[in-house]
Amino acid sequence: MNGRGQVWFQDIVKMHGEFAALKGVNFEIQPGEFFALLGPSGSGKSTTLRILAGLDAPTSGRVFIDGQDITASDARDRDIAMVFQSYALYPHMTVYENIAFPLEMAKLPTAEIGPAVQEAARKVAIGHLLDRKPGQLSGGQQQRCALARAIVRKARLFLLDEPLSNLDAKLRLETRTELKKLQRSLGVTAVYVTHDQEEAMTLADRMAVFMAGEIQQVGRPAEVFARPNSIDVAAFIGSPPMNLIPGHYRDGSVDIVGHRLETSLKESGERAVVVGIRPGAVRITANGIRATVELVEDLGDTAILDLNCGGTFIRARVSDGDVPREGAMISVTARTQDIHLFDKATRRRLS
Amino acid sequence: MTARRIRIVAVFAISFIFLLAWAFPIVWSVLNSLKNDRDVLAYPPKLIFTPTLEAYRDVLFGSASILPNLVSSFIIAIGTTVITMLMAVPAAYALARLRFRGKKFAGFYVLATQMLPPVGIIIPYFLILRNIGWIDTYQGIILIYLSFSLPFAIWLLVSYFEDIPFEMEEAAYLDGASRLRTLWRIIIPQVRGGIAVSIVFVFLNAWNEFLFAVVLSGNTVRPVTVAMFNFVSVEQTLWAKLAAVSVLAMLPVVILGVVAQKNIVKGLTVGAVKGGGRR
Repeated sequence: MNGRGQVWFQDIVKMHGEFAALKGVNFEIQPGEFFALLGPSGSGKSTTLRILAGLDAPTSGRVFIDGQDITASDARDRDIAMVFQSYALYPHMTVYENIAFPLEMAKLPTAEIGPAVQEAARKVAIGHLLDRKPGQLSGGQQQRCALARAIVRKARLFLLDEPLSNLDAKLRLETRTELKKLQRSLGVTAVYVTHDQEEAMTLADRMAVFMAGEIQQVGRPAEVFARPNSIDVAAFIGSPPMNLIPGHYRDGSVDIVGHRLETSLKESGERAVVVGIRPGAVRITANGIRATVELVEDLGDTAILDLNCGGTFIRARVSDGDVPREGAMISVTARTQDIHLFDKATRRRLS
Repeated sequence: MTARRIRIVAVFAISFIFLLAWAFPIVWSVLNSLKNDRDVLAYPPKLIFTPTLEAYRDVLFGSASILPNLVSSFIIAIGTTVITMLMAVPAAYALARLRFRGKKFAGFYVLATQMLPPVGIIIPYFLILRNIGWIDTYQGIILIYLSFSLPFAIWLLVSYFEDIPFEMEEAAYLDGASRLRTLWRIIIPQVRGGIAVSIVFVFLNAWNEFLFAVVLSGNTVRPVTVAMFNFVSVEQTLWAKLAAVSVLAMLPVVILGVVAQKNIVKGLTVGAVKGGGRR
C-alpha cells in the first residue's frame, strides 16, 4: 500500500478546438494525500480529473502515476476508481452486483468477491441494502453505493467528481466527515473535484486552485487561506469573501478610502494596489476608517456587518458582544499582519 | 354523479364501437374457419351452427397443405429478425455514441429509406434479384426485407441508446471493462425494452409482408401470406379454408403480442418519459 498513488502532472495542455481548457498544468500529489482540485465552473478542474482518469486525452504534456508514464494508457488499465457526480450506478443491477462489478472485471475468483463486497458495503453502512436496485435507494444511499463500488477494488487512486453536490445540505455535511474518515482509514490517495471552497478547506490535505485553465496556487488549505497569492484566489477562498479595496501604496503604507494603513511590505516607491482584508480581520476601533452600518446579519455567535465607507462597501465579521445597530456610525481598521497587498496590474500578491 | 355516469356510458359505448370495428374481421375469420362449406355460403349468415375442424384438417394435412408455407414464413421472419437485430444493435449504438465524419448524413439516410413508397422500388428489386438468380430464394426475400427492417430498427434503437448517460459507460471503463464488455453488460441490458419492441415489430412486418413476397417468391419459397391466395380462384373462393389459414397465420402474431406485451408497453413509455429508463 505504501507509496502507491503518487501523481505527477507535467505541462498538461488541453485544447477544445481554439479554446484552451488547460493551459499548461503542473502539480504533484503525494501517496495517501487527500488532494482537492478547487475552482469555479469552467476553470479546468474537471478536465484535469478526466485526464487523470484516462477519460480524456491531453493535447500535450504527460501524466505519471507512481513514476510510470500513463499518458497513453486506457482508463481501464490505470487501476483508478472514481465516484461520479451522477453516481453512474448500473440501474439494472442490484447494489451487490454494482459493487461486485469491478471485481468481476478484474477476474477475481467468485469465492473472494462475496466477502470483499460485504466488507466494502459495511464500511459505508449499506450492508442491509445489497439486494435492492439503485432506483429503490435514496440519494444518500446511492452515493454510498457509488463509494462502495469505488473502494471495493482497492485501486491505487480514488477520484471523486463533486460527489456531494447532489445531496441536501445536512446530509452533505455528514457525508463530508465520513468521507474524510473513510479516506484516512483506507490510506488511499484521493483526488477530489469541487467548486465549494468550504468542502475543499475542510477535506483536503492540500489543494490546487484553478482559474481559467491554470493553477493559481497549490498548498494546504490554511496556507492558501492565509496567503492567497493572487486577487482571484483571495476572492474565491473564504466565506464571506475577502474585502478587496483599491488603494495606493507608498513607502510601507497604503491609502484606502482616505485612510492610511501600515503594511508589512517595506519597499520604497509607489504603485496602484488592491488591499485585501478578510471580514474577520476588520476591527471596530475608536479612530479609523469611518463607516455606516447598513445591514446586520446575525448568525448567532457572530454577525456579518455590511459597511459603507464613503461609497466603498466592505463586510466585517464581529463576535456577538459588540454588534452595532443598523445605521450607526462606526470606525474600523485592520492590523498590519492582516492586510494583504496585491499588485493591481499583475493581480499577484505583493506582501 | 349523473354527469359522471353519462360520461362512463359514453366512453364504454365509443370503445365498444371501435372494438366491434376492430374485432369484426377476426371474429368473422374464426367463425367461418369452423364452418363447413355449406354453412359458409348460407344466407343470411348463420351464427348458430355445428362447428367442425374440417377446414383446418384440409389446409394443414390435405392435398393443398400450407404447412410448408408456414415453415417458409417462419424461416423468413426469424431470419430477417435475427440478422436485423445483430446488425441494428451495434449500428444504433454507434450512431448514438461515436463521433465520425458523415454521422449526420448517415442518420438522415437511415430515415430517408423509410420515406420511399415500397411499390416504387419493387420492379428494380425484382430485376436485380433475377439477375443474380435470387428470385424464389430465402436469401433474396430476406435481403429485401432487411432493406426496410434494418433502418427501422436502427432508428427505433438509437433513441434508447441516447437515453443512457455517457458517465455510465465511463464508470464501466474505470471499473475495468472493455468497450465490448461495457456494451454487453451495461448498455444492452438497459435497452432491453427497445430491443424487445424492435424484435416484435421486425418479426411482425416480415411475417405479415405480402407485396414484396408475391413478386419475389415462387414455388420453392412461398410464405403463407401468398399461399393464402391459392384458396381464391376464378371459379370459386374456398372461404372456410381461407379463414382457417388466416387464423393459423394470425396465431404467431397474437402469441408474440401477448408474450411481449409487457415489454412493449414498458419500452414505449421508457422512451417517452425522460430519465425513466435509468431506474
